Amino acid sequence: MTVVKLRDVTRVHRDVHALKGVSLDISRGELVAVMGPSGSGKSTLLNVAGGLDRPTSGSVTIGDTDLAAVKDLAALRRREVGYVFQDLNLIPSLTAAENVMLPRELDGVRAGRARTEALEALTEVGVREVADRFPEELSGGQRQRVAIARALAGERGLLLADEPTGALDTATGDEIMRLLRDRCDAGAAVLLVTHEPRYAAWADRVVYLRDGEVADAAAVRLESAR
Amino acid sequence: MSIRHGLLALLSKGPRYGYQLRVEFEASTGATWPLNIGQVYTTLSRMERDGLVAPGGTDDQGRAVYTITEAGREELGRWFSTPVDQAGRPRDELAIKLAMAVATGDVDVQAVILAQRMAAMRTLQDLTRAKRAASGGLAERLVLDSLIFKAEAEQRWLDHCEAVLREKHS
Repeated sequence: MTVVKLRDVTRVHRDVHALKGVSLDISRGELVAVMGPSGSGKSTLLNVAGGLDRPTSGSVTIGDTDLAAVKDLAALRRREVGYVFQDLNLIPSLTAAENVMLPRELDGVRAGRARTEALEALTEVGVREVADRFPEELSGGQRQRVAIARALAGERGLLLADEPTGALDTATGDEIMRLLRDRCDAGAAVLLVTHEPRYAAWADRVVYLRDGEVADAAAVRLESAR
Repeated sequence: MSIRHGLLALLSKGPRYGYQLRVEFEASTGATWPLNIGQVYTTLSRMERDGLVAPGGTDDQGRAVYTITEAGREELGRWFSTPVDQAGRPRDELAIKLAMAVATGDVDVQAVILAQRMAAMRTLQDLTRAKRAASGGLAERLVLDSLIFKAEAEQRWLDHCEAVLREKHS
């Protein structure tokens, strides 16, 4: 089942064509990595796929919903899409658990239930014990896990990760990839942007972007990757 | 690749017979370098000739075991304390191929790089799957990591080649 579908997507920022006709499908249980030099359109692709940005032309479909027909993209994002960014965006004045709860509460989930979900997600990523600590009290690896827990809470089917292994050492980066991979094997679709081959190699498929175009979508396919 | 030193390292933990050495060697290197039993016995007999190991009689099931000698321990110590010689490696065919592609001028160098990159990524994906599936110990994991870092280095170098070529062309 296809979770997100891009068809001939272009995105023009002022006069710059960040994406030039990109088509991409990601299915349930599939991890797709996007690689390419800086300025190749990687982050734009991720933003468009997750409804953080709208394409100039072409279509983006999440589940059965064509995003062009959606007025409140923010609500759809909170329901369907989890994000992990390099600069985590954890709110310093909230505890780890409160950070994980926040998007769910924004979506109308009651605090008690949101906390239960948050603790489940923190347990899943192995940092249950830091639930009541603040971001500044956590190590880099722990903060990254909290950010992933926030993306996981609420059973969202699409996970977008932009350089999620950012400044982590390789052993911790591998652990983060293992978490994303497990989530994928449990049925989520994951789109990962990275410039590091070692992390891209955790994917079922690796897509290279060059100047806003896919250099070879099908070529680096690994049919039985899992 | 030094089978000789690998076997010495295993023998430094105690006497062992040939098949056992083969099994332990493969277990600790994640079966990355399969050994055939013939290689093990050939290596053992050469090391015996060189005084690095000695026959240690038979075990309770009648298998011929080997022990490490004092000279063998010294040789092992030397091996661990000496860095691996970079110049001893075979010539790098990929570097030569890219150099020739650039030098001849009528080859699509970007296409050569892309093809290599895809092959290298497949290798890296295979290694990563092996690592995920690995149930063995720390030694096996570190060997797989070594291969992953090497495959990654090739990718990084290809990135670099591509960037340099783009700069020259723009």
